[in-house]
Amino acid sequence: MFLLAATKSRPVFWHFTTPLKVLWYVLAVLSVLVFLYGVARPIVKWRRGHGGPWPPYPWRELPRRLATGLRLLLSHATIARRDHLAGWAHRGIFYGFIVLFAGTVVLGFNTDFTDPVFGWNYFHGNFYLAYKETLNVLGTVLIAGVLAMMVRRALIRPRKLDYARPDRNSDDSQFDRRVYEVGDWAFVVILLVIALTGFVLEGVRIAMDAPGYAGTQFGGWVVAQIIGGLSHSTLAGLRHGLWWFHGLLAIAFVASIPYTKAAHMLTSYLSLSLRDRLAGKRLRAIPPERADLPAGYGALSDFSPLHLMNLDACTKCGKCHEACPANATGRPLSPRDVILELREQANHAFTAGGIGGVLGGLINEQANGDGFTAGVIGEDGVRTETVWSCMQCNACVEACPVGIEQAPIINQLRRRLVEEGELDANLQSVLQVIHKSGNSFGENRRKRGRWTQELEFQVKDARKEPVDVLWFVGDYASFDPRSQKVTRALARLFQEASVDFGILYDGERNSGNDVRRIGEEGLFESLAEQNIATIEKCEFNRIVTSDPHSLNTLRNEYPDLGASWTVAHHTTLLRELIESGRLDVKGRLSYRVTYHDPCHLGRFNGEYDHPRRILELLGCTLVEMPRNRDNSFCCGAGGGRIWIPDTPGQERPSENRIREAVSLPGVELFVVSCPKDVTMYEDAIKTSGNAERIQLRELTELIEEALVPATQLVPA
Amino acid sequence: MKIVVPVKQVAALDEEFELLDDGSGVDPDFLEWDLNEWDTFSMEAALQIRENADGDGHEVVVVTVGDEEAEEGLLSCLAKGADRALRIWDESLQGADVLAVAKVLAAAVERESPDLVLCGVQSSDAVYGATGVALAGYLDLPHVAVVKGLDYDAAQATATVERELEGGLVEVLRVEAPALLTIQTGINEPRYATLRAIKQAREKPLQVSDLADLGLEEDAVGQAAGSRAVALKPPEPGEGAEMLNGSPAAVAARIVEIVQERMSG
Repeated sequence: MFLLAATKSRPVFWHFTTPLKVLWYVLAVLSVLVFLYGVARPIVKWRRGHGGPWPPYPWRELPRRLATGLRLLLSHATIARRDHLAGWAHRGIFYGFIVLFAGTVVLGFNTDFTDPVFGWNYFHGNFYLAYKETLNVLGTVLIAGVLAMMVRRALIRPRKLDYARPDRNSDDSQFDRRVYEVGDWAFVVILLVIALTGFVLEGVRIAMDAPGYAGTQFGGWVVAQIIGGLSHSTLAGLRHGLWWFHGLLAIAFVASIPYTKAAHMLTSYLSLSLRDRLAGKRLRAIPPERADLPAGYGALSDFSPLHLMNLDACTKCGKCHEACPANATGRPLSPRDVILELREQANHAFTAGGIGGVLGGLINEQANGDGFTAGVIGEDGVRTETVWSCMQCNACVEACPVGIEQAPIINQLRRRLVEEGELDANLQSVLQVIHKSGNSFGENRRKRGRWTQELEFQVKDARKEPVDVLWFVGDYASFDPRSQKVTRALARLFQEASVDFGILYDGERNSGNDVRRIGEEGLFESLAEQNIATIEKCEFNRIVTSDPHSLNTLRNEYPDLGASWTVAHHTTLLRELIESGRLDVKGRLSYRVTYHDPCHLGRFNGEYDHPRRILELLGCTLVEMPRNRDNSFCCGAGGGRIWIPDTPGQERPSENRIREAVSLPGVELFVVSCPKDVTMYEDAIKTSGNAERIQLRELTELIEEALVPATQLVPA
Repeated sequence: MKIVVPVKQVAALDEEFELLDDGSGVDPDFLEWDLNEWDTFSMEAALQIRENADGDGHEVVVVTVGDEEAEEGLLSCLAKGADRALRIWDESLQGADVLAVAKVLAAAVERESPDLVLCGVQSSDAVYGATGVALAGYLDLPHVAVVKGLDYDAAQATATVERELEGGLVEVLRVEAPALLTIQTGINEPRYATLRAIKQAREKPLQVSDLADLGLEEDAVGQAAGSRAVALKPPEPGEGAEMLNGSPAAVAARIVEIVQERMSG
C-alpha cells in the first residue's frame, strides 16, 4: 500500500490496526442492514391499504416505469419547474451526491472485492487521478447546491416553505410544523458536513504526503495550503480523527436514509415512476371487490397502496401549496398539509412488528392494526371543511414533482363524506336535482334543446339522423341564459361553415364530471351509463363540446365504462374551420386580450394552443397573465364548488383572477372558452368592481363578431 | 322499539303542463315524481331516534300507498337507513281520498304495532294535511300535529314534542307511546342517499301487499268509498291588472300617469 502511494494512489486504511478494520466493516454492514430494514418497512405499511391493487401496476410495467422515472429524475424537469433556483440547487446536490456515493462504491469494489479476491487493484495511476478530479468537481457542486438551498431557506424564505397550516387556527397545537424544519436543516447540514470533511481529510493527506499531483484535487489542495503549517503529529491525529468522523457520519447517513427526509431519494423516485398519466383527469372507479363496502377513504385501510406510498413520497417542497387556488384565496386547504396530515396518521398508526413482522409482511398481507381502521377525517385529522374547499382543479397534481395524487385522494375522502351525508345542503340538493332531472338546473329535460328555438334554422336531432359532428352541449351551455348566447353563436358558426352537426336534445344528461368530483360516484356511473347508451345509438364521426368538463369526462372517463369516441373541444373544430377558410374571419379584429385556460381543457387535456391560435388568426393581440397554461388559476367552479356558497367577505378565486387580468396594461377583453368560466367571470368582473375596465368574451363570440362584417360585406 | 313512517310519492308539476282531455287531472306525461318533502323530515326524525336509542333490535319501517312509481321513494328511504319497506297497492285505490288512504295505512300499521308513527304534516300535491291525523283516529292513537321539535325517551316510552303557535309561542307537550306525530319541515336536516346506497337498497326487504293481504274490502276503501276529484282547471285570469310594456322610461312614465290618475280620482 505504501508503495502504491508513490505511484499516484492513496491508502484506504492509513495506519489501521486489524481490530479497527474489523470494527469498521462491522459498522458498515450494520448500516446496510438498518438501511434495508428501513426500506422494507414502508412497503409493509403500503400493503395495509386495501383500496386498490398491490402492486399498483403489473410487475411487467415496472422496468419501463422506472426508466421513465429515471429520465425525469436525471433531467430534473419536474423539480426545476416553476422554480429554477431550487432546480439548479437540487441538481447540484443530486449529481454531487450520486457521484460521491458512486465513487465510494467504486473504491469499495476495489478494496473489498477485486483486490482481495483477484489481486486486481485499479485504484492508482490515471484512473486514480481522474477519480479524484471527478469527485472534487462534484463535491464542490454538492456543496454549492447545499449552500444555495440553505440561502433559500434562511434568506429567501419562499411562501411555499412556510409550514404553517391553513387548515388549523394559529392557536391550534397542530398549527405549527416547525419541527419539520429541524429535519430539513439537519438534512442539508449533514450533507454539507460530509462533503466538507471529505475535502479536509484530503487536505490533511496532501499536507502530510505531498504527493506532487495535488492540482487535480483542488479542494484538498486549498485545505492543504491552510493547514500545511501544522505539526506532523497534529496532522496525523487529525487524519485519524477525521477519517472516522467522515466515515461514521457517512455510514450513519446511509443507515438513516429510509427514516428521515432523505427517504425521498427512494420514495419520491418510486412515486414518480408509478405516476398515473391520467391522475385526477380520470378518477378511479370503485374496485368491484369493494362494491359492498362504504365508498372512498374513511380510514387508512381504505387507501390504495399507491396512495399510501404517495404519502411517503412528499418532500414538502410546497409546489402544490403554492399552486392551490383554495389556499391562494385563504381557504382552509393546502394539498401539502392534507398529504402530511395523512402521512403523520399512517406513521402513527403503523406498527411493523419488528424484523419478523416486516419479513412476514413482505410475503403475506397482514391484518390491520386498530390505527389503520380509525377515521382519518375529523377535527384532529383532515377536516371536512378542508375536503370541501378543494376545487379538484388538479393544479396540485400538475405541480407535484414526485407524482403525488393530492386531488384524487381528496376526491376519495369526499366519496366517504357524501356517503355519510357530510356535505353542504346546497350541494345535496343539486345532486338530488341532477338525479331527478338529469341536469343541474332542475329544468325539465324536455327543455334541454330549447335554446335552438331562437335560431333561424333547425338543429338536427343526432338520435334520429346521422351527423358528422355530434355536439354534446352540456348543462351550462344548454340552460344558463348567458351561456345560451354563446351556444347559439356556436351553432350559427357551424351553420355558416356548413358543419353537419346535431345534438341529443332531451336525450343528453349532465356528463357527470363535476358529480364525480363532488364524490357522488354512483350518480356519476348512472349519468355516464345513460349518456353512453344514448350516444352509442347515434351515427357520427366525432363528438364536439364547448364544455371542457364534459370534454374531459367523455374523453378520459367514459372509456372505462366502454365508450371509445373521438372527443374534441369546440376550439379545435373552430380553428380547423378558420384555417381552412370555411369561416372567413382572419385578421378582422384588433382587440388587446388576455386568455384564461380552463382547468379541464388546459391542465387536464393539454390543449393550450388552439384558442391562442384562433385569437392570433382573428388579429387579436394576446397578453398572457402571469399564471397561464398549465399554471392557470381555477375560476373556483370546479369540484362542485360552483354550487357551494362562498363565505361572504372572502376573496373568490374568480375575483383573484380578474385582478390578475386587469393588472395587465391595456387589456380590454378577458377571453374564456368554458361555459362555467362565462358564469364565474361575468360575476367576478362585476363583484370585483372592474366592469369599466375589462369585458368578458367567450372565444366563440369573438369569432361571431369577426364574421358579421364578412356577411355584411356581400353586396345586396 | 319500532317506528313506522308512512310516506307518499308526490307529483311535481313542471311550469308548463297539460290537463287530461276529460279535465279530471294532469296529463301524467308532465308529472315528475318525488318523495314528499315533509316525509323526508319524518323519515330523518325516525332514523335519528333509532340511532340515538340504546341497544339493538330497533326498527324503522317505511310504508306507502302507491303504484310502482312509489317504489323509488321507498328505495331512497331504505338507502337512508330504513330497515324494511311496505308498499300497498290495488287498482281500486286509484283516486282514493284521504280517509280511504288512512284506512289502508291503518290496517297495515296495526299489524306492525309500532311505538311511534311519524307522518309528514301534509303532502305537497294534495295538501289536505289530514292523512296523519285520520290515521291516528283509525288507530285510536294519541297524536300531536305539526311537530317542530322532538325528543323521544325510549326507556320511558315518552315523546316530548314542541309545536309552534301564534306569536312565536312554543307549546311543549308530552305524549306517551304508542303515539302518532305529524312532522313539520325544518325539524332536522334530512340526510343524503347516494345513488350507490339506493342501488344497494334493492337488497333490503320491500314487501308489496294488496287490499286482500290486509283483510280489506275493495268497496270499503276504494274510490267509491269517499270523495273524488271531478275536475281540475287553471284559475280564471283576474281582472284589473294592466301589463306595462316598453322601455324602462315608457314604463316609468305610465306608472307616473297611473299614480296621478288615482290620486286625483
